[in-house]
Amino acid sequence: MAPSTAQPPAPAETPIEVPGGGEHTVRDPGWEVLVWNDPITLMSYVVLVFRRLFGYDFETATKLMLQVHHEGKAVVATQPREQAEVSVSRLHGFGLQATMGRR
Amino acid sequence: MAEVRKRRGRIQIHLDADERAALVMIVEQLAPSLGQVRLTLPVAYDDPEFQAEYDRWVRPEIERSREADLDVIRDCIGSGEDVTVLTEEQALAWARGLNLLRITAGGIMGVEEDGWEQQASAALRGSSEFRVLLALGLIQEELIAVLEG
Repeated sequence: MAPSTAQPPAPAETPIEVPGGGEHTVRDPGWEVLVWNDPITLMSYVVLVFRRLFGYDFETATKLMLQVHHEGKAVVATQPREQAEVSVSRLHGFGLQATMGRR
Repeated sequence: MAEVRKRRGRIQIHLDADERAALVMIVEQLAPSLGQVRLTLPVAYDDPEFQAEYDRWVRPEIERSREADLDVIRDCIGSGEDVTVLTEEQALAWARGLNLLRITAGGIMGVEEDGWEQQASAALRGSSEFRVLLALGLIQEELIAVLEG
């Protein structure tokens, strides 16, 4: 992932029950939300989408867009699975090529 | 020529009768191909089981929202007015809808790589899909400039 001024959301800490009672907190390593290059979508549109969906400033959104353009993909957020799925579905709603995978 | 402006905080899209008629035709010609072009398919997971769940629970909502975006465009171009005032949400719906139409037109043209505008053959440049891609792109750029401005 390209250097950015905005930090992606931190992985969640999820309480889990363990045999014998009690509760442990484990660190969910999170899921990466990836955006892939496509030859049709306008660069300015990708920047707009990153700003609207993730709240990135213009500079960070532009860096990520250029990473997508030049390297074929970029990790735009690392989130707990459910949140990552919401992000991917919203990216799909904007027509971007987005997938998610374990960190 | 189609134009998007922001005046006193209100987003206005200017389309004359010919431009509206052309857009009506474009939307109706491309709408049946939505979801059939590879780049319009919402693929979230490598894992087939996860993807099947995504297709079952999430994809219908994505398809509904895409159709709603196109309805916003249809309502605007069907109004019979040269100038339509858009809310910010409607302008975003226009931007999303135009992107979807462009991806669909590009898929029909078989565009697979960056630089297609410069590398297009004379025959491709003369195709209706190529002109649609460029024309929709110009309107989308104006919308984005207004939304970002």
